Amino acid sequence: MTVAEQSFTPPPGTAPIVQLKGIAKYFPGVVANENVDLEVMPGEIHALLGENGAGKSTLMNILTGIYQADAGEIIIDGYQKEFATPMQAIAAGIGMVHQHFKLVQAFTVAENIHLGWSETPRRASKAVLENRTDELAKRFNLDIRAGATVSDLSTGEQQRVEILRVLAREARLLILDEPTAVLTPAEARELFRALREFVAEGNAVIFISHKLDEVMEISDRISILRGGRKIATRQTRDCDPHMLANLMVGREIVLDDMRHRAEGAAQVSVEPVLVLDNVSVSSESGGNGLANVSLKLHAGEILGIAGVAGNGQRELSQVLTGVRSASSGQVIVDGKSMKGANAAVFAAFGIGHIPEDRLHSGLAPALSITTNAVMREYGQAPVSPHGIYNPRSAYRLAREIAEAAEVAIPDYGMPVRNLSGGNQQRLVARREMRIADKVLIAAYPSRGLDVGAINTMLRYIVELRDAGAGIVLISEELEELLNLSDRIAVLYEGRIMGVVDNDNLDIEEIGLLMGGRTAAREVA
Amino acid sequence: MFGSYRLQRLPSSHAGIALAARVAAIVIALLVAGIGIALAGMNPLNLGARVITASFGSAFGMEDLGVLIIPLILTGLAVAVAQQVGAWNIGAEGQFYAGAFAATAIGLFVPGEGPLILMLMFVAGMAGGAAWILVPTLARAYANVNELITTLLLNFVATLLVYYVSTGPWRDRSGMANSATPPLSTDVPSFWGIVHWGFPIAIGLAVLVAAVLAFSRWGYEVRLVGSNPSAAKYAGIPVRKHLIAVMLLSGGIAGIAGMLEIAGTVHRLQGGISNNFGYLGIMVAVLARGSPIGVIFSGALMALILNSGIILQTQGLTTSIVLAITGFILFLTAIGDELSYYRITREKA
Repeated sequence: MTVAEQSFTPPPGTAPIVQLKGIAKYFPGVVANENVDLEVMPGEIHALLGENGAGKSTLMNILTGIYQADAGEIIIDGYQKEFATPMQAIAAGIGMVHQHFKLVQAFTVAENIHLGWSETPRRASKAVLENRTDELAKRFNLDIRAGATVSDLSTGEQQRVEILRVLAREARLLILDEPTAVLTPAEARELFRALREFVAEGNAVIFISHKLDEVMEISDRISILRGGRKIATRQTRDCDPHMLANLMVGREIVLDDMRHRAEGAAQVSVEPVLVLDNVSVSSESGGNGLANVSLKLHAGEILGIAGVAGNGQRELSQVLTGVRSASSGQVIVDGKSMKGANAAVFAAFGIGHIPEDRLHSGLAPALSITTNAVMREYGQAPVSPHGIYNPRSAYRLAREIAEAAEVAIPDYGMPVRNLSGGNQQRLVARREMRIADKVLIAAYPSRGLDVGAINTMLRYIVELRDAGAGIVLISEELEELLNLSDRIAVLYEGRIMGVVDNDNLDIEEIGLLMGGRTAAREVA
Repeated sequence: MFGSYRLQRLPSSHAGIALAARVAAIVIALLVAGIGIALAGMNPLNLGARVITASFGSAFGMEDLGVLIIPLILTGLAVAVAQQVGAWNIGAEGQFYAGAFAATAIGLFVPGEGPLILMLMFVAGMAGGAAWILVPTLARAYANVNELITTLLLNFVATLLVYYVSTGPWRDRSGMANSATPPLSTDVPSFWGIVHWGFPIAIGLAVLVAAVLAFSRWGYEVRLVGSNPSAAKYAGIPVRKHLIAVMLLSGGIAGIAGMLEIAGTVHRLQGGISNNFGYLGIMVAVLARGSPIGVIFSGALMALILNSGIILQTQGLTTSIVLAITGFILFLTAIGDELSYYRITREKA
């Protein structure tokens, strides 16, 4: 029987390579994993599926010794193990290839393979290392140029180096975190071939992905995580993408519908307040950029943007707020083209922006709370009439914002990074709401927050909608999008896969669109 | 059980601890120097007493200090200003020379005397310093070339340029000195012994810069750019424009230091005129934690240390000991700054 046809049924009595029992991990205010059981058998490719924040990374970090579990046990080949360091996990035959490679760019492939490896010869010339690397590459049937410098390699080649480095250390379980995200289709096929050969020798692979199609193609079994817990483990042959999307997103979504308007709330406007007309943005760092995106946002509505992170969300929020300019197409606010306008002009037009990483782009962490709070209004009276910055007025404004955000601040002069993430986010949100007369672009407003803080954040957004602003809500939490949005657009690889009305919406359809499958039905 | 002690890293450094660490760094460096001097067979306490009486015991000593403070405050201010926008100006030495060179050119070749020429020399000094940092500034702003290296390398060019003109085309042909230009006919007037008006100018500039940074819209934007360029971009602040303006200002301030040195203290241009003031300015700025007002105090401290070296030299010690002490202070300060992020906690076992 060929490898590809091998449908997975381990012979009775086979011991799993890895068995996780009742794994739990808690971070302050967050349950990252709870009561997770997972068995990985020799010879199988086991897919791990889940939304962002479902606990996949934490679970793998526990398995590879980066984190230590708060409860539960790890059993390798029948023996209970505890990994205090990643080194111990590697010694036990568990290797991981991370989404962001950990290679030394200036070193050759051979040098990277031998870096920090106990079996590296004490005194080794370049030639010796390259010969050893060639032998390893041949043994594992991976196409690698041992003498090449890593920075000259394509991402696919770099990934092979990462894989070879793990395999060379006698890994029996290979964990791959979203391995195809950076690959061309041809490279992905090549990777799949190598993985099948690897498990055919009695090894195993844990394959983390969001892409339903490729999970269906490559895996033998699939485990689904949601909210830190394992929801199910299924034979792949018993699965279909619809069912997986269902399991991943969850049926029991708590429909705390915030779409209902209070009396006196602003109506959805007839004319759009913000229009993206065929906008393309080139990507900055290997991301997706945006390709010919057209969207309309009306005043008084919430437009949700669904999609797996990294599919153009950052570029979308930046182009909508003037942080980045479109390479083609145009952004139109209230019928006026914003060509050439920078972020300050957008802000002056009444467009607020809660950025996706508040500490990196929404705040200056080392500067005071006051300095950060006035970032949008420092240029006008009362903070700086006639160009003179008045620290007392700035302090008064900062206090006003903090009071609206219900954040108790002992000292407005202390660096803003001393505040908790939730309080930082509340301050940023309140600061932006003050200027967002027309539009608020909120990128992952609840990311990294606990339940209470998330509720506050969503309440803010509803409040602003009822006041008549148009809101673009970018989120990876489908539940959040479903509860708030009037319409939902799905972003995949920089394109809008479809815009659907949030009435009688089919969750499966959203799940499929997020995984890159075009829906049969589209509502413009 | 007693529990175990653990170092915990805090999100921000404690200002009080950082200040204490600076004091401790100076004390430890002096102690080590004292031990070295004692090992060399001299009495460090006697030498210390002599340094103190020579520095503060007479008007002459105080005047020497006053003259030394001027360039140290200004080069320190130059480095500190660049730090505000997130740049490291290691080239204050070169900009100092460039400023001195440009001011000398005015003094030697523009006929006339008096305040007008002095004013011209001042502007030329500032422009010379700014011109010297122009290329590193544009390279950083448009091509993200690390200014640390470019500003440093241009120091050697400026140093050699000044050596060349002062021993070559501009040398004093009257036969009195072969390695310097003729004395300048226009001076910065003195107001107390040999201490000239550069003293209040240096302190005034430091106060002015501090005030602009703290109390102007522009200063707010510069602080934001220096602290987090992405946040500045997010707020729509022209990051590149501010970077260029502040770096040129930094070079200009170092240039003023050079102009005041030739027009107020030395009265002619000669090689080696900077006495490492540009490099010591880095140290002054670091000791001041990049604060323009702090530079006044750390500049004074550095002047005291330099002056001690000159006094020690008269006692048969080499001035290298001062360089060793200053280096050691900087080293210990860096350690102290890092440590001010930590606190010791006790965990119950």
